[in-house]
Amino acid sequence: MAHDREVLRMIWEGQIGICFQADRDEIVGIKPEPFYLMVSRLSYLPLVTDKVRKYFTRYIAAEHQDGAVWFDYNGIPLRLHYPTGVLYDLLHPEEDCTPWGLTIHFSKFPEETLVKMNSKELLESHYMSCLKEADVLKHRGLVISAMQKKDHNQLWLGLINDKFDQFWAVNRRLMEPYGDQESFKNIPVRLYNDDDFTYTQKLISPISESGQKKSLADLMAELSTPERKAVGFRTHGIDLHEETQVQWMSEHLSYPDNFLHLSVDYKDV
Amino acid sequence: MADAEENQASLTTNATDKDAAKICVLLNATGNVPIIKKRTWTVDPNKTVSWIQKFIHKYLKLDATEQIFLYVNQTFAPAPDQIIKNLYDCHGTNGKLVLYYCKNQAWG
Repeated sequence: MAHDREVLRMIWEGQIGICFQADRDEIVGIKPEPFYLMVSRLSYLPLVTDKVRKYFTRYIAAEHQDGAVWFDYNGIPLRLHYPTGVLYDLLHPEEDCTPWGLTIHFSKFPEETLVKMNSKELLESHYMSCLKEADVLKHRGLVISAMQKKDHNQLWLGLINDKFDQFWAVNRRLMEPYGDQESFKNIPVRLYNDDDFTYTQKLISPISESGQKKSLADLMAELSTPERKAVGFRTHGIDLHEETQVQWMSEHLSYPDNFLHLSVDYKDV
Repeated sequence: MADAEENQASLTTNATDKDAAKICVLLNATGNVPIIKKRTWTVDPNKTVSWIQKFIHKYLKLDATEQIFLYVNQTFAPAPDQIIKNLYDCHGTNGKLVLYYCKNQAWG
């Protein structure tokens, strides 16, 4: 599995510069300066914005201060349970090198569009569910169910405290093929093709019918229909080469939830 | 039974994609939750997990304070905004998506 440890490290260290602004309608008195923060691509907004929340609370009307916090980009509410890098890549298909301008809100939580995942406990249980689902796809759930509670905790703590070694000491067991297998049963992958945050999930085997390891070019063919052709994939802000093996990608380019989150470009035929 | 048929009607209307084939969902009660007699339902593929949770909640006439938890194949709890099609395509067996529902976290 992870011989390419450098890749894992580089993915882990990916960050996004964010410029947070207050919601004008929630401010009392003087307008606060924006708050700048570098956040991990792999983490989740509710896990990295304690400081941001604390900073703006001073400027917010008292009745909103304990409200459920959420964020928007150009009026688009951001899903709190998607990794930050996934949100950024969907809204920024082209890297523009300027900080990402988000607005923080303390009131009017958009219940219709966002799942209320603003406590760390809710997010942790969502994260564990993703890991379980991913393991069902990779190993029929056999690896994660053989782990102990302390291993699950170590994954979560490694993620929220940004501890690469702590996280990978456990995650490597999830990222190895089971027993004497050469690859996963299926690849946990979420395919996005729009900026509306919906995704497609389907069974993708890492092995082609002829018994070869599948490449991205094979995956492109698999996802293409007579109406539209898949022509490109991006993740972590990187355009992926079509010779890349799908199994290798799953082991090295998955988010900490053990899913590959790929933006797919389609071309009408 | 008339009641069940009525509810099935409500499950299958408002399709966002009328051409998409309906998905067969098998609802199993687990723990101390009341049982829904009709276990097999057909659902529009683009309906979300939270939509099914609300349906069960309403069908069982639960209190507003009570919560419905859903699990796929007794293994994991799908996100509330996950759509049924994605779950069926990855975890469906024998033409059905098997969901377990309860009032407390079970396989959390």
